[in-house]
Parts: sequence; C-alpha cells; structure tokens
Amino acid sequence: MSKSRAVAAAAGFALLAGLATACGGGTAKSSATAAFDPATCQGGTLTVLAQLGQGKFDPAELYTSGGGKVPTLVFRTLTTRNHTTGGPDGAKVVPDLATDTGEPNQDATVWTYHLKPGLKFEDGTPIRSQDVKYGIERSFAPELPGGPPYLRDWLIGGEQYQGPFKGADLPSIETPDDSTITFRLTKPEGDFPFLATATQFAPVPKAKDTGTDYQKHPVSSGPYEVTSNDNGKSMVLDRNPYWSRSIDDQRLACPDKIVYTSGLDPAVINQRLAASSGDDARAVSGDTDIDAGILAKLNTDSALKSRVATGYFGATQYLAFNPTVKPFDNALVRQAISYAVDRTSVINAVGGSAVAKPATTFLPDQPAFGYTPYDYFPAGPSGDPAKAKELLAQAGYPNGLSITLSHATDQSDIGPAVAAAVQESLGKAGITVKLDASADDDYFTKTQLPSSEPGFFIGGWGADWPSGGPFLAPIFDGRQILTAGGNFNSAQLNDPQVNAEIDAANKLTDPAKAQQAWGQLDAQLGKQAWTVPLYHPVYKRLVGKDVKNAYVSQWNGVYDLSRISVK
Amino acid sequence: MSSPTPASPSSPVWRRLRANRAAMAGLLVVVLLLLLAAAAPLVAALEGQNPTAFHNELIDSATGGVPIGPFGGASARHWLGVEPGTGRDVLARLVYGAQVSLSVSIGATVVQVALGTLIGLAAGLGNQLADTVLSRTMDLAIAFPGLVFAISLMAVVPGSFPRPVLLMLVLGVLGWGGTARLVRGQALTLRSLDHVAAARLSGARSWRTARREILPGLAAPVITYAALLLPGNVTAEAGLSFLGVGVRPPTSSWGQMLSGATTWYQADPAYVLLPAGLLFVTVLAFTVLGEGLRTALDPRAKSRLRRARSRRTVAA
Repeated sequence: MSKSRAVAAAAGFALLAGLATACGGGTAKSSATAAFDPATCQGGTLTVLAQLGQGKFDPAELYTSGGGKVPTLVFRTLTTRNHTTGGPDGAKVVPDLATDTGEPNQDATVWTYHLKPGLKFEDGTPIRSQDVKYGIERSFAPELPGGPPYLRDWLIGGEQYQGPFKGADLPSIETPDDSTITFRLTKPEGDFPFLATATQFAPVPKAKDTGTDYQKHPVSSGPYEVTSNDNGKSMVLDRNPYWSRSIDDQRLACPDKIVYTSGLDPAVINQRLAASSGDDARAVSGDTDIDAGILAKLNTDSALKSRVATGYFGATQYLAFNPTVKPFDNALVRQAISYAVDRTSVINAVGGSAVAKPATTFLPDQPAFGYTPYDYFPAGPSGDPAKAKELLAQAGYPNGLSITLSHATDQSDIGPAVAAAVQESLGKAGITVKLDASADDDYFTKTQLPSSEPGFFIGGWGADWPSGGPFLAPIFDGRQILTAGGNFNSAQLNDPQVNAEIDAANKLTDPAKAQQAWGQLDAQLGKQAWTVPLYHPVYKRLVGKDVKNAYVSQWNGVYDLSRISVK
Repeated sequence: MSSPTPASPSSPVWRRLRANRAAMAGLLVVVLLLLLAAAAPLVAALEGQNPTAFHNELIDSATGGVPIGPFGGASARHWLGVEPGTGRDVLARLVYGAQVSLSVSIGATVVQVALGTLIGLAAGLGNQLADTVLSRTMDLAIAFPGLVFAISLMAVVPGSFPRPVLLMLVLGVLGWGGTARLVRGQALTLRSLDHVAAARLSGARSWRTARREILPGLAAPVITYAALLLPGNVTAEAGLSFLGVGVRPPTSSWGQMLSGATTWYQADPAYVLLPAGLLFVTVLAFTVLGEGLRTALDPRAKSRLRRARSRRTVAA
C-alpha cells in the first residue's frame, strides 16, 4: 500500500467525521469516481468468485479464524479480528458480541466475557450467554468434525467431552447469567482472545439446532442470513432484519445481497474480474491471487492496478529437515544447505516478487507474530555456494554430497517447480539433489508421520491467528510430536528448555510482552537451522471495477466482505 | 531409434514413396527431428546453454517472472528465449524435450506393435478357444479408457523407476489392441492362401508357418499401422506430461512445457507457441509419412480409391 494512497484515503474518511460507524485509517481501494460513504453505501449485490467452496457451513465445523470470508457475515463471535482497517491493526483482536476482548484471572487460566445488550438472532430472539456455551459444546460432538484443535486442548474436561447431543454439558464453561460467560482452562493461555474469534464461539440457539443438518441453514447472528446453500459450493445471503450497525461496530454490510460462487479455475476468476463485464463488475476474488497474466498488465494499466489490493497472511514456506535421517543430523550440513539456497529462484517459481517475500526467519515478518529479524546464514538473494562448500568440507563432505528432497506433485507452493529451483541452487554448491515426488495426500500423510518422515522436504505453516504461539508451538514444542500422524514438529525436537520457554510465553496476556518472548524464541531456534525459511507469501487480489472500500485484511489476507460496497 | 523405412532403396516401395512429395517432406522433418534429439547436448553446447541452469537475471520477478525482452527474451545467447519463471534456456529444453518425446513415442510404438503382432498372430492361427478369448481381450483393450488408466498407473509406480521407460511401457501395454486386431484379420486371410496351406500340409509346425509364411505378408500393413500409431503416442506422452504424471522435473518434455505455458499464454505467447508448434510439426510429419508409407506399400489401395472416386464422378 503506497503512503500517498493511504493519506488520500484518510482524507476521504475525514469527511465522514461524526458517523457512529466511522472507519479507522482504512486504506480504501475504490477505483470509482465518487468517494465511499458508509452512510449511503447500502444496496446492490456483491458476488464472490472462489476456487474452493465454504465446506459445511456449520459454525462448529468451520476452520477459519472467524476471518474475512463469508462466515463473518453470518456468525458473530465473542471477539473478532479488527475489520475496520486494511493496515497492520487489522491483525488485532477486538470485541464483537462481548464488551471487551476478555478479562483473564491472574495466571490467564480463567477468562470471563460479558455480552453487549440488544443482540438478536435472525428470528428476533435475544442472544444469551447460554447460546454461546451451547455453540462451543456442539463443536466437541463427533458428529460435527473439523474446527481448530485448541478448545479440546485448553478447556478443562475438553479431552473427554463428547458434545451436548448425549445430554451432558461442559462444566468448565459457566454462564452465571444471560450475559456472562466464563471459561476455565487447563493451563495459562494468553492467546484466548484470539481463539474466541473462531466460529465455534458463535451463538447457536439450542431450540433451532438440527444437528448435522444445521449447516444447511445456520441461524444468523450477523448482518446476513443464509437464503440458499448448496453445500457451501454456492450460497446466497440476504439481510438479517434483526441486525443493525448500532449493535455492531465492525461490519458495514453495504450490499443487500451476497452471492458466493465456487469451483472456478484461478485463471477464470482473474480474467472475469479484469474484464468486469455485467455482474463481474461488482465481484471480488474470494481466495485467488492474481496470476502472471494480470501481473504483466499492471505496469501499463493503472486502472487495473488500482483494483489490486495487497495483503499478508502470516505464513512461511520452508525446507524442513528431519535430523533423525543422516546426514541431516549434522548441523553443518543443515547450515550448508541454508547458505546454498537461492531464494530468488524459489520465489520466481511461485509467481515472483509480487506474491512472495524472501524469508530468513521462521516467524512471519509482521509485528503481531513477534517478528525479530535475524539471518544467521546470510546467503543473499541468490545463495552463497562458496560458503556452503566450505561448510560441507568441514562437515566431512569435501567432494560434495547426494541427498533426496521430497515434494508434492500438485500444490504449487510445495510442488515440482519449487523443488527444481532448490535442486538447481544446491547443485551449485556440489550438493546433488534427487527429487522424490508424491501426490499431495500421500505427501501430507508421509511428512506428518514421524516414522515415515523423509529427511528433507518442502513444508509450509500458516497461522491460526496472528500470534507467535500457534506459529512456533506446533513446529518446535516437543510435547506436540504426534507419533500417530498429523505431526508438524518435523525436526522432532524435544528440548526441555524450548518447551519451558513456550510455556512461559503462553502465560503472557500482554500482547507486547508475548510478541517479545516469541520473537526471542524464534531467533534462538533459528541458530540451529532446523528449517530453511524460504519465503512469506504476499496476497494480491483483484476486485471488479464497481467495487468500493475493498481492502485485504492483514489477519488472513482475504477481502473484508463486511466492509465492501457495490453501490 | 530408427524411423520405419522399407527395406531396400531400390525397391518399388521406395520408388513410390520417393515420388510422393508430401511423404518425403514428412520423412525429412522426421529425420531432422531425430537428429536434433540425438544431438541435443551438441545443440545446447553450440548455443552455450544447458537445459537446467536458472537465469534469474533474465526474467522480471516483479511481474511474475516474465522474460525480459521481446519474443520470450530471445537473444544472441538464448536463441529462442528463456522459460518464464526460471530463465532456463528454451532451445535447450526443447531439444532435450525432443529426446523424451521421440524416444517415448517410438519405444511405446515398438511395444504396441510387438505385443499386438504376437497376440494377433496367436488369435489368428490358434484354435477356436484361443481366438475367442484373445479377440475379446482385444475388444477390451481397445475399449479401455487408456488415459485414465495411464494416469493412475503413472501415479502408483514408485518415483525411483525411470519415468521415460515407464511412460513407454504404460503407453505400449495400453495401446496394442488395434495392432492385434489388424494382425488377426490379416493372419486369418493369409492362413487360407495356398502357400500357407502347403506349408502346413507338409508338416511345418505352426510357429515356423507363422514366421516363414505369414509374417512377411504382415509387414506392409503393420509398418503402415505403426507409422500412424506413432503420432498418437507423441500426443499421448505430451498429454500425460501435461497432466503432471509424465516425466519429472528437471527433465523437460514438450507436454510439460505446454502445461507450464498455460499460465503464460498472455504474458509470454512465445513460450506457448514454441512447444505447441514443434508438437504440431512432429505429429503432422509422422502422419504424412505414415500416409505416404501406406500408399507406397499398398499401391492397390490408392488405385482402388481412385477407381471409386471416378465411379462416383460417373454416377454424378
């Protein structure tokens, strides 16, 4: 986002002073002539074009961090990400149904929330704290799989609890009155307000629960209700008459109707949005970045350029080592590979510098994660084969080394193009790389099972929410080595000191202090070269020509549908 | 690797083929392609490039990796430009890709013809039961959804197995049905001819009869059929590589280049046109040559056609 554009946008918003729903320093990306005005933005139909469907649209089964996709239009949660800006503050937690982001006790093991007054479901019945409790309890039911694993881990009794359908409730969630809800946790979790943005924290009225059929028409607490829903593949949302801006300071809900269409090819989405004919003029990309065809046009077509928004999702693509496989037990070999990697080639393989930034840290380069810059094996943009050779000689491989790199066949960020780029750059340092390809599903099974984990493979990790905890713990916490599969601790690292530091950081409820702790831990882990960070993805997404106030959330890199206008 | 050319240059077949200008052009292109593929390392060395070296300085990372300069970044050092996204030399990748495309398609054709001839002969010369069983197997082989089966076969075989050989075997094993049916029909016809009957009555064993009396009679139709199978195998290999189950990177093949080119057709049209054009020329050359061979080996077919055409003209 250029500075001048941000200033212009801020000036535009200054005109709106006095409005209850005034936006923060949003970086509006409107290409239309008239300035965006939230007071008169209502009307029209917004179309969302996507590759993937929403899946089962049940708040218990969705796994979306309560993000800027479709769920946030229908489900309000105790807290939510900051919708009002496309800037870095978009990665902050703000209250949604609750009056604040949560009151912890001394050691962050008990969290209490109070609901705002006047909240209603789409049928006019008031939203009570019991509905939130019931919504969370449903997510434990084996009939409704999916959703993040944290609730089961964190809530007392969560591991055994089987959901409310068999009659039992979860006593660690207390509702002393209709507007108060308290959570009792097994261990200190300073990140609880982040977890409370998940759709599992949306209220569900027990009387309207139809079990596994609830996904067809979940009861809305947000600005829109579900009018039609074809298994999440295509959906139509219309206004919820019982929602108003007076009880929701996060969503603007400008369009009268929202149409979600999925199953489209990425190139088709980009071409339709670029052409902007008919309804496509009032459409946005749901999950698709611009491709080379669009990127090449941007320099000459400033109107098209103004319709591309840039966002960041906290994610890192990396080369993973399994030190239980030789020669990766040798730190010098891992360091040599870290020096040899040509990040420019890798970035070009996934779409160029517009959609990826070189990474030398495991944590994404956003302050919310506790980003602490370091580069212990400075290889420059294109690798340092000479230094790598030197280290290999020290490691006892003066004549080079032959290793195997495992990769997937389909998904591009872990696919053959990236593997070929790594292979070529390591070749310059005398490391002969054999490629071992497997189909995506097999690849995930193989790399996430410690007994079959290859020694050297391409991996990626994205954040459940913008904080260091869910980024570092699954990868480096020794107690999260899952021997039965689903393991992401690829180094199979179980260092008591690292485990203790993770516990200490989880206790912190002050985000600034937590960021510092996670940043320090990352910098310390980086020295061991358990991974070679390759790049952080950058999201660049296109909107139709009549779309206003479209910006990409810095929480998850997708368009904030709740703030867009098509009028 | 050798193209299927008939025996002696002085034979009437060769004379008839030489008189067919289209077929000669096809033959010339095929020979050139074979030479180019065989000399791929030489061609790349002549240009001073190799097919796997990345050239990040020749592509514009900010626009997704489009080659810098017109016609896909063609220059004195990279005669046909560089590959978008990597900067690898296109000419080197094309000629090395020709090795894969041609060796796989020729190898697959050999497997198809060998299997088809064996099975067709067994059906045509064997007893009633063998004929019934083998004929139904041929029907099955012809009706089989080959592409789908090839994709799954390519996916399950471990990555350590050499991919070009695997492609050859998969295409060969899935595509013998047509040849077998042709050979069976021919064998049935030839079997009733006098010299074959004489050989059998004189006590020759069936293997010897097949080899000495029937196989020579099969040469013409089988060679013709093989020449027409070949272009199909070129496209089949390209198709499998296009779908990502063919050869594995960094080995190049035309199908794989085309697959990569799908995202670049607007930003870098040259990168689409080169492998597509080469594939087109190859398939066309093999097809024209095959047609020429067919008429050269069986001049009656041509005159029959001509007669039929003149009869139609009379009727009209």
